[in-house]
This record gives sequence, C-alpha cells and structure tokens, in this order.
Amino acid sequence: MEPTREARATLVDLLDRVLDKGLVLYADIIISLAGVPLIGVNLRAALAGMETMLQYGVMTAWDEHIRAWEHENRRQTEFSIAPEEAASEIALSVPGEKEPIRV
Amino acid sequence: MQITGEPEVTPTIAGDTIVGTEGKYIYCVADSGETVGLGKIGIDENEVYTIGYRDICAVAHRCPAEPYKSDDPEAIEVWVLRHQQVIDAAWERWGTVLPLAFDTIIAAREGSDAEQNTWNWLREEYQNLKGKIERVRGKAEYGVQVFWEPKLIAQNLSETSPEIRQLEEEISTKSRGLAYMYRQKLEGLLRREMEAEGDSCFKDFYRRIKAQVDDIRVEKTKTRKADQGLQMIMNLSCLVARDKYLELGRVLEEIDKIEGFSIRFTGPWPPYSFVGT
Repeated sequence: MEPTREARATLVDLLDRVLDKGLVLYADIIISLAGVPLIGVNLRAALAGMETMLQYGVMTAWDEHIRAWEHENRRQTEFSIAPEEAASEIALSVPGEKEPIRV
Repeated sequence: MQITGEPEVTPTIAGDTIVGTEGKYIYCVADSGETVGLGKIGIDENEVYTIGYRDICAVAHRCPAEPYKSDDPEAIEVWVLRHQQVIDAAWERWGTVLPLAFDTIIAAREGSDAEQNTWNWLREEYQNLKGKIERVRGKAEYGVQVFWEPKLIAQNLSETSPEIRQLEEEISTKSRGLAYMYRQKLEGLLRREMEAEGDSCFKDFYRRIKAQVDDIRVEKTKTRKADQGLQMIMNLSCLVARDKYLELGRVLEEIDKIEGFSIRFTGPWPPYSFVGT
C-alpha cells in the first residue's frame, strides 16, 4: 500500500496538522490576544463549517480546546527541558460512548 | 539556554529595515545555518528568507504584526497549502525541518524587533531545537487511519457470538411485548460486543503498526461526512525512516484486506506531530 499526498484528497489531513500541531514557541514572543495564541484561532471560526471542525462541535468547544492547549503548553515550556513523552491517550470510540483506554 | 565557551554570534539579518510593528511569520526551523532568500514563494507571494543562528535557521517572511485571518475557507485553504509548500521547499533543500503551525508570528517585544526576537529564540532554544532535529532526521510522518463498517462488523458478530444467537432464537418464541424487551437487551449485548471487538482490533493493529515505525502518536478519531457509513476506529501519526515506509505499507495492506476494514494512508508529511513539547 502506497501513501498519498494528493492535495485535494488530503486537505483535511493537512489542516489537522497545520492548524493543530508543529513546533511550539514561547507564548510571550508570538502574537497573542489576552494570553491566547492566535495560531489558527481566527481560521477555526472560518473553517467551522468544514468537516475538520466537526470534532469541535460548537465554537466554545474549540475555544476551550485552544485555552487548554495554551495552558498545557505554557506549563510545559515553564519546565523548559522536554519532558518525557506523556502516556499516549487512546480515544477509541465505538458505538455507545466509552472511556478512552490507555496503552 | 546558556551556551558556554562559544563566541557570541551576531544576528544575520539580510538587509532588513527594523520596524516595531513588523512581525515574522515562521514556517519552520531547518537544519542549516545558511542565510538565504528562497524567492517569493510565501503566503500572499511574500519573499521567504532564512534567519540563521549557528547551523540552524528559521524560514520566515516579513509581515505586519497581526495574524492572517479570513472568513473565506477557500482563502484559508490557499494559505495553508502555501504554508505547506514553503515547508516542503525547505524540507527538500535541507533534508530536515521542524514545521510550525499556521499563523505563528513572532512579534517585536520590549525594545527588540521581531527579527531579533526570532534570532534570540533560536539562540535560547538551540540545544532543544538541535535535539528535535536529530530525532526526526531522515524521517517523515505518515497518517494512518483505520476504518470499519459498523453494519458489517455487527452482522458478523451476530453470526459468531453464541450469546447473541441464543437471544435471537429466544426472541422468536416471545410475545410482542417481551420480544421488544429482548430486542433492547440484544442491542445492549451487541454494543458491548462491538466495543470488545473494537478494543481487540485496536490493540492488534496498534501492535502490528508500532513494530514498523520509529515513533507513534494516537490521535482522536473523527467522524466525517465523506466517510459514508465507515467509522474511524484508529487515527495514528507515525514517524518512519524514509526508506522504511514500504514495510509499514505492507502491514497496512494486510489490515486493509480484512473484511469490513479499510485504511487511509497519507504522507509523507513533515514531522508535525513529533516536534511539539
């Protein structure tokens, strides 16, 4: 099986990565609004109609997500040295709501 | 981070005018100290260039100190694709990059302009950035999503589970009212069997995939309209040595061949999921 990166077919995969991930900078040197980094924040609003946003549901949900991310990020940058990788959290959803399991 | 025993290096600024309201849009950090212009390949045709510190550089363009924003999803798509294209260009040129998220803009702060702040950041984070570069050197990220067809899986489970079969037989002998209650019970049982099946598939596939990759991240599963009737049961980001992806592909092909399961395999991506904290 060969991987694909055909632009149209993988746009959602690209958005997932480009909007949510990547190297993190100290919040105090990047442009931010009220302590919330603007990485993709405005874009999320515009993309709310897109499939990639379904996971966030309503706007408040993604706002919380961003804040949580920011909080976590700040906490980790304060300790500066890259911490041991946190245990991977596995969110496996099958019909009938289920608690994520950890491996 | 304090670097001792090193002569102080001066910022390498390529004919920049220092403006307090100017920002630096950062695409990635690359494995090269080269200070060079890459042409007008940036977002909105901006000139992309590098800000170097020792043997690493930030790939950037000059922009106003405000984020890119738009209400038009198509405009955003164009930006995001361009963001990726610039990273691809750097990736191809220097072999190893640490990609940043879209819209990461370094601002001027407390008397130092954005370019200086970028350079200071490279300097302070140098050891950390070098460590990350070493971790992803020669590797690429691949997206692996595993889907199943819930209807087919449920059908198969109904046929193979003795408990479900027994319940179904009992239903046929019951009065209408009782049959309704039995059907509720059957649905609950089926749901639990699906969960157990999902768990066991997850563990099995995870183990087989993990054996083929250098690093792995478990992402949240998503529901997308485009996946019509399919349900994502695994969403993984895998870091794989460039020449090893064929072996991963072989394992994925095995899973893809199992009845009721399918795989989505994307990449190679720059290692977005492996450069965070």
